[in-house]
Amino acid sequence: MSWLLRAGATGLLGSILYPVYKFVIPPLTGEANLSQLKLPFKSSELREDKASSRIFKFGRELGIIVITPQNEVKAFSALCTHLDCTVQYRKDLETIWCACHNGQYDLEGRNISGPPPRPLEQYDVHISAETDEIFVSKKT
Amino acid sequence: MSKRRILVLHLAFLVFTAIPPVVYADMCFECHSGWEDESGSPSASYESDVHFRAGLGCADCHGGNPELDDMDDVRRGRGYKGIPRPREIPGFCATCHNDPGYMIKHNPALPTDQLDKYKTSVHGKRLLEEGDEKAANCVSCHSVHNIERPQIPASTVYPLNLPEVCAGCHSDPEYMAGYGIPASQFDDYAESVHGHALLVEKDLGAPACNDCHGNHGATPPGVTSISAVCGLCHALISDEFAVSPHKAAFDEMGYPECEGCHSNHLVLEPELYWIGTSDSSLCVDCHSADDGTEGLAKAEKIHEIVLKLKKSYETAEAKVDESELKGMMVTDERFILKEITQAMIRTRTVIHSLDFEKVSEAAGEGLEKADQAYRAATTKVEEYYFRRKGLGIATLIITILVIALYLRIRSIDKSHPLR
Repeated sequence: MSWLLRAGATGLLGSILYPVYKFVIPPLTGEANLSQLKLPFKSSELREDKASSRIFKFGRELGIIVITPQNEVKAFSALCTHLDCTVQYRKDLETIWCACHNGQYDLEGRNISGPPPRPLEQYDVHISAETDEIFVSKKT
Repeated sequence: MSKRRILVLHLAFLVFTAIPPVVYADMCFECHSGWEDESGSPSASYESDVHFRAGLGCADCHGGNPELDDMDDVRRGRGYKGIPRPREIPGFCATCHNDPGYMIKHNPALPTDQLDKYKTSVHGKRLLEEGDEKAANCVSCHSVHNIERPQIPASTVYPLNLPEVCAGCHSDPEYMAGYGIPASQFDDYAESVHGHALLVEKDLGAPACNDCHGNHGATPPGVTSISAVCGLCHALISDEFAVSPHKAAFDEMGYPECEGCHSNHLVLEPELYWIGTSDSSLCVDCHSADDGTEGLAKAEKIHEIVLKLKKSYETAEAKVDESELKGMMVTDERFILKEITQAMIRTRTVIHSLDFEKVSEAAGEGLEKADQAYRAATTKVEEYYFRRKGLGIATLIITILVIALYLRIRSIDKSHPLR
């Protein structure tokens, strides 16, 4: 009987200490990396937008979605590859522009002028024909 | 013609075309390879020169017959140019580089206006018009026999190397004596945000000397063109400055635009105390309380709101850090902090318009976000303490239960001992 009580007590102690231990030690794995997103606006809303573009939140970063003059919908990371400022679409120049140091990207995301050292990361865009919802995902 | 004669002619043609062309040794290259004087062997360094790779031999620039092995014969030969004097070098290089018809065969994308630009530069005027052979010519920057394209890191004019090349003359007080300009440009530049970005961070987008002064047409930007030069990168700031009251006032006073507050080579990270009414502020350099403008009053208002934004950001960031250290997930809060940073950049940009409404609007967005981030992070810190207290209470309850259970069992054992 006493060994049963001791075993039970040990088990109970373990069940108390284990969550305490797990709470104190942070998890080894990082946060889940968001790779796909449904945008909070529909394709028709984007097309009505005067700027022909919108900024959206993608995980812990910002993305930019653009309607090109050829009526294509393209999405990129909105973080300038120079110093992480948020870029914007310049309809008049047909470029993605960073106001911080006048960096420019074409509508393929390629850095074409100014200090940015690398292209913008381009995302895949899928628009549901039925619901008009926009889905953006990182390229694999 | 008989078949026999036709056959002989065919054979002769085949034999003739099969003979390789006569390849003579470049005697200039051969003899000069043996040199080991102070400047080293010109032939050895020339093997890494862009012109060598393009198939140009010594004689293509220096003239003379490369087939001759006697120097006296070479010197007496037609077309021998020898070593050009400094004032002859620009024209020497321009023989090819100013000839679009020739350059298109080697590098169609390369401009052919270098000499024309050089003639407009301070260096070019001093050398070509005043005969000052201390002034920089082509080889002063591009080197002599190991010239490389500017895009190649080994090139003397690669962006990371260029400031040192300019400093070779411009940082030498003895060399620069008599020109009436300081020799501190490189030291100032190295300490500046631009120099730090280029020389320390290796950010090739940061400006080197030539990005502001030009390269072949190197000259100091004029007073009224400074904002245009800075505006190449700081486009939005330049636009805001152009609509500010400072623009007209600076033009009228002949006061340098961006340089007036930010200096030229020693461009430092802007500090909040620069704007305002304290003794260390830049505004008081020109403005006084009774100057008939609202300059100082506006400066004080802008200082206050920007200071408030800065402090709000720091407070929010500290709370987010605290929350993260306690093991809470702060992805959203970090995101909001980034939005505040963007608002701070916008605020700093519109300060150049001196329009308080614009500054207030941009700063207001940041203040709102800072409040949002602070409240969200505070909730997470409170949640942490709630969980911690809950855990303590639960542990206490379970412990009491265990003790009670143990005592109960013991009392049962005593009252009903097993036999």
